[in-house]
Amino acid sequence: MFSQFFGGYLLNKGAVTKEQLAKALDEKKVTRMRLGVLAINAGLMTADQVELVNVTQQTVDKRFGDLCVDMGYLKAEQVDELLSKQPTDYLLLGQTLVNMGALSNADFETYINEYREHNQINDDDISGDQSDKLASLVAEFYHFSTSQNAKLYTKYVTLLFKSLIRFVGDDFTPLDASPAKASSGALTIRQNITGAYDGITAISAGTDEYATFAKRFAKDAYVPDPEFDDASVGEFLNVCNGLYAVNESNESGVEISLTPLTTAKNEEMAFDKEVFSIPVQFTFGEVEFLVAFS
Amino acid sequence: MKLEDMSVLVCDDSMFARKSLCLYIATLGIKNVYEAADGQQAVDQYAEHKPDIVFMDIVMPVITGIDALTKIKEIDPNAKVIMASSVGTQNHLKAAIKAGATDFLQKPISNDQVKQTLENAAKGVI
Repeated sequence: MFSQFFGGYLLNKGAVTKEQLAKALDEKKVTRMRLGVLAINAGLMTADQVELVNVTQQTVDKRFGDLCVDMGYLKAEQVDELLSKQPTDYLLLGQTLVNMGALSNADFETYINEYREHNQINDDDISGDQSDKLASLVAEFYHFSTSQNAKLYTKYVTLLFKSLIRFVGDDFTPLDASPAKASSGALTIRQNITGAYDGITAISAGTDEYATFAKRFAKDAYVPDPEFDDASVGEFLNVCNGLYAVNESNESGVEISLTPLTTAKNEEMAFDKEVFSIPVQFTFGEVEFLVAFS
Repeated sequence: MKLEDMSVLVCDDSMFARKSLCLYIATLGIKNVYEAADGQQAVDQYAEHKPDIVFMDIVMPVITGIDALTKIKEIDPNAKVIMASSVGTQNHLKAAIKAGATDFLQKPISNDQVKQTLENAAKGVI
């Protein structure tokens, strides 16, 4: 999930466009890591040093790693260690953006260092997929600490993103959230939370994006039918909310329940209170998630 | 009883949940599979077909899965009803057990869980 939020960070900084990010998320599956980006990420080389080795390599028939050793930037064992590590997902994203020319090595160095410092994360956090760190990343990205029910929003949205990765795909970038009184897509499906506290949850998207989301969740069981799209997107929401309810029950002793799903077609769904609109950019388009707790 | 000779009732208001479960059950060679889209339909379908096993969602319109389970148990105290729900909270678990549920599966349910449950029912283990 770090790579998704790193992508969102790059977007908010204006470092890349939505289109570049969507293309990179699609292409990163086949990206091979290069030593330069790995060395910058590990803090062993600067972007300038990597560029110098790149330039030198154009005139010398030697591998990048051997040149780094020759030029005194890395030791041979450091080259071996960097190359032997399984690259993390956000690194593959960074490498893809560098390959595409969307980011330079210097940009990558600046943004990855800023991002880590801002969120106080290191490679162990990222590779270990630490839940606490993920939650703080979510809270920081969406500024939940300033809202009432900050803990509930953080728990819910963290679980939502984990569920997206688990059931729909990891090729998405979270976009900035904003308050809303209505959904923005042509199709919307909603489920309320009742019990110890009340909540509104909903998913909204354009017809094509809604159908693609449904198809990805349903996998082999998919049937191209608008009614089935509702059922599939609704089941994702239901499963996600169910897992949230179980976590609340088991971890906090809080009992909540879920209402049957309701839909709105070709019109916005209005809410009787302000909700967080959380747009997510997938490679196939934008999907809006809406949530409110009271 | 052989697995393929079993009859199964799938109760869920989500067409997706019903279709994906029914599709998988069909791949096991089971031909007698019935569907219900709300709690009352579940009770009616049970009364009509007396299936060997029922997969029952909890959050459903008309009457809930727990209420449907209670009514089915009134019709047949030996009914085997597996609650298959996204909301496996402590309260729901307690309510399901109290109403006489045979087992509880938390959604998303894997094909392996479904197969294991059906095989256990066929062997008479549950």
